[in-house]
Amino acid sequence: MAVKGLKTKDQHIINLANIVNSPRSILYQKEDLLAYDCDGFTIHKHLPRAVVFPKNTEEVARLVKYCHEHDLPFLARGAGTGLSGGAIPLNGEVIISLVRMKKLLSVDLENRRAVVEPGFVNLKLTNSISDKGYYYAPDPSSQYCCTIGGNVAENAGGAHCLKYGVTTNHILGLEVVMPNGEIIEIGANGIPDAPGYDLLGLLTGSEGTLGIVTKITVRILKNPEAKQTVLAYFDKVADGSQAVSDIISAGIVPAALEMMDKTAIEGVEAAAFPVGHPKDIEAVLLIEVDGISAGIDEQINEILDVCKKRNVREVKVAQDEAERGRWWANRKTGFGAMGAISPDYLVQDGVIPRSKLPIVLERINQISEEYGLRISNIFHAGDGNLHPLVLFDARIPGETEKALAAGSACLQVCADVGGTITGEHGVGIEKREEMRFVFKDEEIIAQTDIREVFNPKNLLNAGKLFPTPGRCVEIKKEMKAASTAAN
Amino acid sequence: MSVREMDIKADPSCTTNSLSNYLWSDPPDENKWADCVHCGMCLESCPTYEHTGQEQHSPRGRVHLIKSVAEGKLKVNEMFADPVFQCLDCRACTTACPADVDVGGLIEEARGQVRQAMPLTGWKGTVSKAILEGLFPHPNRLDSLGGLLKFYQKSGLQKAVRKTGLINIMPKHLVEMESIMPEIKESVRKKYKNENVIKAKGESKHEVSFLTGCVMDVMFGDINEATINVLTRNGNDVKIPKNQTCCGALHVHAGDRETGRKLAKQNIEAFQDSEKIIVNAAGCGCMLKEYPELFREEPEWHEKAEEFSKKVEDISKYLYDTGYEKPKAEINKRITYHDACHLAHGQGIRQEPRDLLLNIPGVEMVHMPNSDRCCGSAGVYNITNPEMAGAVLESKMENVPDDVEMISMGNPGCMLQMAIGVQKYGRNQQVVHTVQLLDWAYQKEDEGKEGK
Amino acid sequence: MVTADLVNELKMILPEERIGENHELDHPLGNSGKVKVCPETEEEISKLLNYANLNGKTISVVSGGTKRGFGGLSENNDLLLSLENYKGIVEHTVGDMTLTVKPGTSFKELQDYLAKHNQKIALDPAWPEDATIGGIIAANESGPKRLGYGSSRDAVIGLRVVYPDGQVIRAGGKVVKNVAGYDMNKLFIGSMGTLGVLSEVTLKLRPLPKYESLILLSFPEGKSDEMKSFAVKLLDSMLEPVSLELLSPSLSEKLTGEKLYTLVIAFEDVESSVHYQEDMVKKMKPFEAKLEIYKREKAQEFWNAFYKNGPNGARSSSTNETEASLKVGVVNLDVLEIVRESELLRDSHNLVVEAHGGLGHGLCQIHVRGAIGDVESAIKHLRESAEKNNGYAIVKHLPYSLRQKVNVWGDNPSYFFLLQGIKSKIDSNGIMNPRRFVGGI
Repeated sequence: MAVKGLKTKDQHIINLANIVNSPRSILYQKEDLLAYDCDGFTIHKHLPRAVVFPKNTEEVARLVKYCHEHDLPFLARGAGTGLSGGAIPLNGEVIISLVRMKKLLSVDLENRRAVVEPGFVNLKLTNSISDKGYYYAPDPSSQYCCTIGGNVAENAGGAHCLKYGVTTNHILGLEVVMPNGEIIEIGANGIPDAPGYDLLGLLTGSEGTLGIVTKITVRILKNPEAKQTVLAYFDKVADGSQAVSDIISAGIVPAALEMMDKTAIEGVEAAAFPVGHPKDIEAVLLIEVDGISAGIDEQINEILDVCKKRNVREVKVAQDEAERGRWWANRKTGFGAMGAISPDYLVQDGVIPRSKLPIVLERINQISEEYGLRISNIFHAGDGNLHPLVLFDARIPGETEKALAAGSACLQVCADVGGTITGEHGVGIEKREEMRFVFKDEEIIAQTDIREVFNPKNLLNAGKLFPTPGRCVEIKKEMKAASTAAN
Repeated sequence: MSVREMDIKADPSCTTNSLSNYLWSDPPDENKWADCVHCGMCLESCPTYEHTGQEQHSPRGRVHLIKSVAEGKLKVNEMFADPVFQCLDCRACTTACPADVDVGGLIEEARGQVRQAMPLTGWKGTVSKAILEGLFPHPNRLDSLGGLLKFYQKSGLQKAVRKTGLINIMPKHLVEMESIMPEIKESVRKKYKNENVIKAKGESKHEVSFLTGCVMDVMFGDINEATINVLTRNGNDVKIPKNQTCCGALHVHAGDRETGRKLAKQNIEAFQDSEKIIVNAAGCGCMLKEYPELFREEPEWHEKAEEFSKKVEDISKYLYDTGYEKPKAEINKRITYHDACHLAHGQGIRQEPRDLLLNIPGVEMVHMPNSDRCCGSAGVYNITNPEMAGAVLESKMENVPDDVEMISMGNPGCMLQMAIGVQKYGRNQQVVHTVQLLDWAYQKEDEGKEGK
Repeated sequence: MVTADLVNELKMILPEERIGENHELDHPLGNSGKVKVCPETEEEISKLLNYANLNGKTISVVSGGTKRGFGGLSENNDLLLSLENYKGIVEHTVGDMTLTVKPGTSFKELQDYLAKHNQKIALDPAWPEDATIGGIIAANESGPKRLGYGSSRDAVIGLRVVYPDGQVIRAGGKVVKNVAGYDMNKLFIGSMGTLGVLSEVTLKLRPLPKYESLILLSFPEGKSDEMKSFAVKLLDSMLEPVSLELLSPSLSEKLTGEKLYTLVIAFEDVESSVHYQEDMVKKMKPFEAKLEIYKREKAQEFWNAFYKNGPNGARSSSTNETEASLKVGVVNLDVLEIVRESELLRDSHNLVVEAHGGLGHGLCQIHVRGAIGDVESAIKHLRESAEKNNGYAIVKHLPYSLRQKVNVWGDNPSYFFLLQGIKSKIDSNGIMNPRRFVGGI
């Protein structure tokens, strides 16, 4: 049935509106579209052609099929909290917003799984099963508002993935609309190891370039019996990093092991959730262990010993849930808190082998001096995932560019010590070129080859994840094609 | 905040930024949106985003649009006005924001621009003018309206309207409102109009001034009475300054910042000799505390407003801070507490009213999930945007526990809206103001003593 | 081209001693090759593959050989690429708890080495002496402790893969968290060597537990409801067993002497925590069930025996009977039904059947031995049971001859075109382990 009340003559818009069957399920006027010109990464902006709000898988499939048949670029978007620009409509895409597909479809506690629609918000899953003693483990700092569909696309991490793993370790099944509109189900019924290549693993973290996820079966976990949280202040950042290594080497697997440096402490203490960290220390560690109550004290004592051996100034255990909550709020709002000491910041997401922590922090310090910009560090020390925050003022001409360059330099350092350029935020638009720090051309082609299998027309979220192909890549591709044809 | 306001005063963005499409004075403050990094932490806190799923109806989307106008990418027109006016002004986003972006302030400033660029015309304009300019600022007119309503209820006219089916021709949301109208009592301003000071019972420890509010005093005279009782019982002499007027919140929410300023000036003057200004309506309290916002371009008044706003205190926080007598009589009720937006998000007052309730013997507090979610009242929002208000109310009512007998809160607008909710969804809770419960407990205690 | 010519051509690109004509061509498990090549460097692997790709030579890849009976419709390909001499630890960064190894390294060797540093790879595959890390990853092997530690896809953080054209492609890296580009590791884990040769594997490690024990809880015949409700209760508790594996009576008899359905509940943690959990299980235990606790060495002995059960492609079978091994995947608690169904096959099909399955993850392993017709029928039967429960059954070990008749991978999934697309994109000439995997890819 034709939808009435549209103020456009664009036939594509009219046809798309007919698929979602309501004038309220499509946006196409500039004023509305402007709100969709970027996601959590704001340096690049572009207007979409339209934003559509399907209600179910069938509508998604019909929208995709339409775009596929009419060669309209399109992409899927959840809450738009991504930090690398994965949902920015670089090519004037039709945005398929999945936020209205936000139902919790089923919970099966006995078999420890839940089925959700992609627009379901991460934290709501834990909230809806916590009374039964269960939770969903991946906990990105944006979990209050980010969607599980987005988490799948980005393979989201979080503070507690040190022990429990990232999103890919918790996905059991997906329903996917392929870029041509076909609906497939992988990991049917959430049963692991389905015969065939591990498409679940491949799709998770593919940043919305291989298909649009419309239903997700996730693993849920039982709450740990006990939990203890420790805060440790170090005068020397080197002692703090060494303590991190020592804790892990002692055979403890903490649920979380977070670190903030002096500049970061200045920020969080000036912002909405201060907890009274001393201002003159170089590093604070936030360590959480969980598990069976009978074993926790032993682990805590060991952690306290390690910290003392590494010249900790002060170390304390959270006395109650409220105190623990304050410490975590202070940490989890850390990025936003930088607003309190700087008008703008750029967050990076490099990962390094844990043992390289002291040297990398030193190099980041040098970069900071070199560029004349302050860089604070808030990071998941336990798994070596650094978040250098480059502080700058976009109103000063040239400073944005300088900040971008400094951020990129930090990633080069991570790559140089055997690490990688992103641990949980994804490549998106932001780190396309930095992909070259860790992959050679052939390796990038190997990945775009996979994209071609799923997304041959490259209409779905084009221009993300991979560097713009250099001349040599093109030549190599041609050579490859020639050699294949020869056989 | 104030430092940044000084900056902007010296350098209003509309004069420095030639691209800006804000053509009037008092435009949205650049420093307010500069803090927004578009992280999206506000999304789930926003009731209109919850119901539409659309970015332009989310806090960061609105901030983005407001900024876009300043950057010359958008014009101040209907399309811009829609998201700006769909906002409930509930401030939940301010609580959620890690960078403390003042979204509410930006929205109000933007509304001011919209209303100047596109004055309301037609019946909407007439009605708005009649109510906002013709009614609220005039206590005596409000009182007359109260009298009229009282007559409507007492005379049997209400019965007749309902019986005859006349009610069926009223728009649905007005029917809903009519049906829950509280029984109109005498307003305290009328009652105490000849008393300069209502003396404390027993020893006088403090002197406070009381903002009676306009709607509050007419529709909920008994709550004002309860507030005075509670204050005087706890050693406070209560003054009701004569020249006080409507706080202006409704006007400022509607974009009529000019009337807002007029009312603010009147109140600042009316209370200039007061040490402490007690408010029992969250919406008014929040507005009074934000008077400085209105005078970003009038340094002299800005300073006065700063001074004024420091003296404003919500009744629950005042009692909590200065100490109060714990009631001894029992009120055996299961009660849940609803956080009025302008108390929880607007003023950061959450624990204090709960403390009042918990200290009444016999009260059993039941947790309301998402208790700080807006109920949809939002000043006159439930009249101007009935559909969205209805959707927001529905979500709210889903969160009200089934087995409670009372829902307590600290704002008259919420009380009306929650009463509609109770009626509409066939619930049977009594909707009460927190301070009323305390007053009842005192009264019961006194009755007990008298009985002995 | 005759074999001798092939050998000669290969000698042009690889050291002579790496190459030899294969004299055990008619291996009962198939997946062999006319010329056996044992490269010792990645470069040699690369040269070999490049040669094969340009000349259309097909390759079977083998390492420890334990999974030789796992899929494959070719008795002999042109080349048998054996990784038996391509082994050893490349890098172990103790403080980072990461390990990089060459694929031909045996699992036991790795674990023994790591134990000296109080670390381990958190996998527990069958036949650890024979199985190599490359094979374990390529076949996505896991054991009962998957409940606590996950599987290969959770442990692998980086791979080097020699593509069919000889190019070396790196996937992942040396860090435990990595979302740069597609998660290509996943593509190769469980790909049965059909996309390339794994030339290096990087794993994340875990600390060795400070203490361990296991509880054997045996349930008399006819008490399956009690068993189920106990399992549900245990899973709903806050206990943290690393395995909750159900043994069929015949397997239990072999391992514990008790011919009863037995739950193997393993705990690995600090000692106080393990004892605390043992006590909790004692309290939860249904009246009818018999409980025994194996501590430390005894627990390890149990596991050692457990892992040496079932067919092993690397060791010639001592029996003339037909051996098969199935992997059945179902929703967690349906494991109870699958294990029960398997046990019934003993009498109905006159077979030796040993089955176990994890109630916390839904995967069962069923070993079957007997007359060829009975084995074939049992496979059919078990697949029907799995499908009835919305699951799947694949045959992990079966003689080559029977694989011609029985589709070991089951029907193609609806998204088979994607599997096919991936295979033809990476191995367009179809030289790597052809016809080894799902749908003959």
